Amino acid sequence: MSISREAYEALQSIVGSEWVSDDPAICIADTKGGYATGIVDINAVPPACSIQPGSAEEVQQIVKVANRYKLPYVPTSTFFTGMCAPSVENVIMMDLKRMAKFEINDKDLYAIIEPGISFSMLQAELFRRGLFTFVPTCGAHASVLANHIHCGDAPLAWRMGLGYRRILATEWVLPDGEMLKLGSRAYLKDYFWGEGPGPDLRALLRGNEGHEGGLGTVTKIAVKIFPFIPEKLEPQGVSPRTTLKLPESRMKWYNIAFPTREKAVDFMYEMGRCEIALMVSTIPPLFRYVARSRGLGASTFWEKWTRFGETANKDAMDVRVLIFGWTSEKQLAYEERVLMDVIADFDGVARPAPPFDESNFMSADAVCSWFIGGRFLSEVYFESLDCGLHTERGIREISRKRTPPLADTWDTPMLWAGYEFAHLGKQEYLNYADESELDALRVHEQDCREMDLKIGAYAIMEDTRMFGKAWYNYNQKMQELKNIFDPNNLSNPPKPLERPLHEKKS
Amino acid sequence: MGIKEDLIGVVGPESVSDSQERLRLYAKDHSLSSPCMPGYVVQPGTVGEIQQIIKLANESKISIVPCSSGIHFNGNTIPSQVGVILDLRRMSKIQNIDVRNRTARIEPGVTWSQLQKELEKHDLMALNPLFPHPLKSVLGSHLEREPMLIPKFEYGDPILNVEVILPNGDLFRSGSTCVTGFPDKSAADGVNPQGPGIDWVRLFQGAQGTMGVVTWAIVKTEIKPKVNKTFFISFDDIEQAIEPIYRVQKRMIGSECLLLNNLNLAAILTEKWPEDFETLRKVLPPWTLILVLAGGWRRPEERIEYEEDALCEIAVELSIPSLPTSLGGLPGVERKIPEMLRNAWPKDKTYWKFGYKGSCQDLFPHTVLARAPEFTKIIGEVAARHGYPMDDIGFYVQPLERARACHYECNFYYNPDDTKAVDRIRNLFVEAAETLVKMGAFFPRPYGPVANMVYDRATSYTTALKKVKGWLDPNNIMSPGRLCF
Amino acid sequence: MTLKLEDLRHDASGCIRCSNCKFTEHIWMQSARFGRQCPISTRYAFNLYSAPGLMHSALGIMDKKLEFTPKLLDALFKCTLCGACDVRCKRNLDPEILSVIEVLKAKAVEVGKGPMPEHRVVTENIEKRNNRYGSPYDNRLKWLTDDIKPAAKADILYFVGCVASYAHNEIAQATARILMRINTDFMVSQDEWCCGYLLYSTGQVDSFSRQAEHNIEMLKKSGAKIVLVSCAEGYKTWKVDYPKVLGKSTDDMDLKVVHIVEYIDQLVKDDALRFKNSIPMKVTYHDPCNLGRLSEPWYHWEGTYKRYGVPEPPKTFRRDGHAGVYESPRDILKAIPGIELIEMERARDNAWCCGAGAGVELAFPDFALWAASERLEEAKATGAEAIVTCCPTCKEVLHKAAQSRREKIKVYDITEIILEAIS
Repeated sequence: MSISREAYEALQSIVGSEWVSDDPAICIADTKGGYATGIVDINAVPPACSIQPGSAEEVQQIVKVANRYKLPYVPTSTFFTGMCAPSVENVIMMDLKRMAKFEINDKDLYAIIEPGISFSMLQAELFRRGLFTFVPTCGAHASVLANHIHCGDAPLAWRMGLGYRRILATEWVLPDGEMLKLGSRAYLKDYFWGEGPGPDLRALLRGNEGHEGGLGTVTKIAVKIFPFIPEKLEPQGVSPRTTLKLPESRMKWYNIAFPTREKAVDFMYEMGRCEIALMVSTIPPLFRYVARSRGLGASTFWEKWTRFGETANKDAMDVRVLIFGWTSEKQLAYEERVLMDVIADFDGVARPAPPFDESNFMSADAVCSWFIGGRFLSEVYFESLDCGLHTERGIREISRKRTPPLADTWDTPMLWAGYEFAHLGKQEYLNYADESELDALRVHEQDCREMDLKIGAYAIMEDTRMFGKAWYNYNQKMQELKNIFDPNNLSNPPKPLERPLHEKKS
Repeated sequence: MGIKEDLIGVVGPESVSDSQERLRLYAKDHSLSSPCMPGYVVQPGTVGEIQQIIKLANESKISIVPCSSGIHFNGNTIPSQVGVILDLRRMSKIQNIDVRNRTARIEPGVTWSQLQKELEKHDLMALNPLFPHPLKSVLGSHLEREPMLIPKFEYGDPILNVEVILPNGDLFRSGSTCVTGFPDKSAADGVNPQGPGIDWVRLFQGAQGTMGVVTWAIVKTEIKPKVNKTFFISFDDIEQAIEPIYRVQKRMIGSECLLLNNLNLAAILTEKWPEDFETLRKVLPPWTLILVLAGGWRRPEERIEYEEDALCEIAVELSIPSLPTSLGGLPGVERKIPEMLRNAWPKDKTYWKFGYKGSCQDLFPHTVLARAPEFTKIIGEVAARHGYPMDDIGFYVQPLERARACHYECNFYYNPDDTKAVDRIRNLFVEAAETLVKMGAFFPRPYGPVANMVYDRATSYTTALKKVKGWLDPNNIMSPGRLCF
Repeated sequence: MTLKLEDLRHDASGCIRCSNCKFTEHIWMQSARFGRQCPISTRYAFNLYSAPGLMHSALGIMDKKLEFTPKLLDALFKCTLCGACDVRCKRNLDPEILSVIEVLKAKAVEVGKGPMPEHRVVTENIEKRNNRYGSPYDNRLKWLTDDIKPAAKADILYFVGCVASYAHNEIAQATARILMRINTDFMVSQDEWCCGYLLYSTGQVDSFSRQAEHNIEMLKKSGAKIVLVSCAEGYKTWKVDYPKVLGKSTDDMDLKVVHIVEYIDQLVKDDALRFKNSIPMKVTYHDPCNLGRLSEPWYHWEGTYKRYGVPEPPKTFRRDGHAGVYESPRDILKAIPGIELIEMERARDNAWCCGAGAGVELAFPDFALWAASERLEEAKATGAEAIVTCCPTCKEVLHKAAQSRREKIKVYDITEIILEAIS
């Protein structure tokens, strides 16, 4: 073992020998994987041990042991992204999955969550109570807590916004082992409010993508939940062809074709002004073909996708809208009338779509993005929809230059979505490379960051080394913050500072 | 050279003053906080001037208290030591209205009426709190996190991004406004408040000037409805109002939604003091829920129609006898109210909080809606112990974010010229605040004595906050003595 | 067996850590309580104890960066091979997760680290006496009572299996009596050997091949074309694992495997059988993994993967659990007067494993009992009086769990119910 026997025994005394292990297989299983694996975790080092605390108190004790013995630690739960990978020696991998309690307050619309609760579990419980939450694009089995403090991008959040808008009171074990309580938990037992008191230290919890354990370990969080309709969504089918049947008196899908991206964006802005719908998001042709190949295998996808490329309309953009009778059936009828007005005004051609959902209420399984094989890296921008037109132009140029070896996306639009009634937009460009050519993704990513600097765009893939100076030296500030709260640099080092994607250690 | 000369060197002699008469304006406000004379008041006109002033303050270890409104109610701009008041009202431009993204970029001195007037030209409105004073700064309101009147939006903080001068004099921009070339040469429109690194914009809200000086902010605006239907639903006691509010909000009905007791509503609707007020106070129901159904951007009447149908369903479910769209004895008020709610208090009318007795001290925790009746009862008991009649307390309950919580406000009216009354209110206020804190009321905006009550209890938060303060303002020049600093 | 671990490198690398493998299909998830899918992941929580952990271990073994450590062996041999991870994964992706785990077990045996000592006892029993219990081979047909008269020659060979032959005779007897009641001729073999399920599922492929070869030869000699089983393990072993180990597809085998529920269900649908007797009882149905998710035909494929993992030659099949035997038992139960069928939250391809599969109950009885108890809780939550299943092993472990917890809920094999309904 690469940590001292004394340190290991100290850890054992906290959780019991059943819940800590330095077995090499346990450690290998905690080394790499997830989104951007092969890119962000190329320098991953197997941890020294893996430990599973059962409570926040145990987390505190573990962190104190880590400080005593100067051992770095990485908090994780589902290991959904390669960013969980330990990048230094002797890491204690703190796996929080055992902490899986939750409590739902129907009246005041919040749920108190521990790290081991997935969206699928929470959504199932909420649906039983006539409530719901927004399952993020990364998939239903992501940790609710981790996702809210990381990104929280969900297709149904058209009205509500990203994860940072939905965090209430929080409990957080700082890198020195002390517990910090935010919002109403600062001095009350209640979790209903997230701000303050005074300046809002939820500021330190996030940024575009959170600090990924770099400033400590969040052990409990209250998140906003939302009222739903009384009608049930009916599950149907056997995997892989499962779906939810939507109540037609309250929900209706439309797929709307626009001749250009600009028209589609205009439409999305107008939808924001009209304050209707539960989802307004594009349908990238790539995802359409993935959906058509579900259950048939990736070969089918490549066959169809290659054929599609021969006649692909590069300019057209389809938008998928879910109108919703949240208040009543009459609201659905109202929204439909308004939608038709808007479609007509913006040269859209609408096609009602079947009343089923595979991907948004219970799933949002962007894991289907992996379906076609290879690896992908997303360029994600949360900014205005108009900004997206600029960044997309730039990325298309870069992609054309770098294809091949990148997979050809036929210059077609990628994923756009709107949030907070089009106050905010998202553009996500998925770039694919074969596993043997992942350098192509790194190079593409580098090109995109250079483009961002040049045109003044704001990707979420912050890189303090690339952007620090240009962005008011925020990299220095982040280093200072790290020094204040984690002077021993033990909490998922070097987070929240970046490990640049494009840097390979020899 | 002395401080004054240094300041004059930055902003020019017209923008610096140390006259007692002038300084007295900043030494006290409409709160019960003890007055304290500043040393100087300076009015910068540019970001560069502010940076120089901050640098001077660091060198001289002199305190800076920024303010941007012409009136203050909570004591947060009264200095705790002799220092410099940084009055930002000269910076009062609406730098940009982005109609497409529905935002406005505003400087600190922009008032509510100024902004709403401009936005109306574009069919937009900003999200104001309840009848802000005509001299109140929009940026000040948003930084102080004053509650919006419209719970249907799932955000409570309309501020998106800020440009700020940090306590060391560095310029910083939050979120996507940090990109090169913003605003004129960047692809970004400044609408993403996240990052870079951390969510900076959250640090400056609720900070009472302790973390830096905001020089502009991008704030959200929304479509200003052209068609409205206002309901005035009356209740005999606050308990009866709670379940209707929960149901209305959970069914996504309505725009502005607020609960006022008769005293506050009378103060708001009074045209002639004191005659109108006393009459109104007697005829208005004990509690009135004002609910505005706002027409949508398109087919406005149709939206009102389906929302009204749903409202009627709730009324039947809860046996609410009627849903009046007027207030007896006040013809036309239903048409006036939406416009009033979407604007600052008119300049030519006595401010509603001053009409009754001259001033009022506000206590405003957050709680869950279901506890509002309990708090009201307790406030009444505390007031009685101080010989203050319940009938003289104004109450304002603002549901927040679909009634997930509420801003629960008590207004203790008093005559500021009556020293006994002032003492009584001061004591009552402290006891009421302490009692509510012990009962579980949460004060996300702790002013004056409430700050100590809160921070003494919020030990881990206080420790962390001090670390952040120490990081950003190592010389503690920004509003020292505020909050827990 | 034709598959080697290195053949599955592409599949092992395909894990993206989405955690689908650990949870019920999200579309069907109804509660947090019954939202988990993988027994080892649910119980042990370490990432190793899950499909992603085992995939990473497989890669580690292949790259010689890892050996079979105590924890790896523990996780590996506690895996019941229920197939939930495989089916959940295939909702979106293509990797053959289950094959990786199966072959990893075989690798452990190959290098002398597996199977568990308790499994070796069974291996010895099978080698010496051709049954898992080590009971005298001659006792294999002792379940036959006087009233049961198999034919000397018939198209159907009833392959009884060890559990029904030696431990749960009631299942064999019920099956036989059903066939007699419906005038279906069937044979039983004097030469039946243990199907070898426990050998294959614990990585002992060579020993398993011996069983496979013998039983296939036995069937051939009998002249029967249909192997009828009343055991889910036997069903899957004949249908999937025999062709697998021979390097063939199910369709290439000169035999057809039918479970008694498929047979009866077809008769009911053809109106050739009606249930006369009423059985007033609220029941819930437990899908055995080997009859449900894992029962699709096997397709033999050899090839390589091109860019983006496109297989060459193309795979013309997809084993993703959608075509398991889910409806036949349900349709039978619904057709029996008086029976009220109430589904558990995790049904069909979402079924929670009883915990006994792949020799787990032998080597880790506490863990198996825990898994069975979980299923029992779920059954009780439906308000059912009884659990009905189609697998003697499932029945046995669920019954043990009920007894140990002093639960009133009864556990039946479907053959017992069918027999009562037609007698």
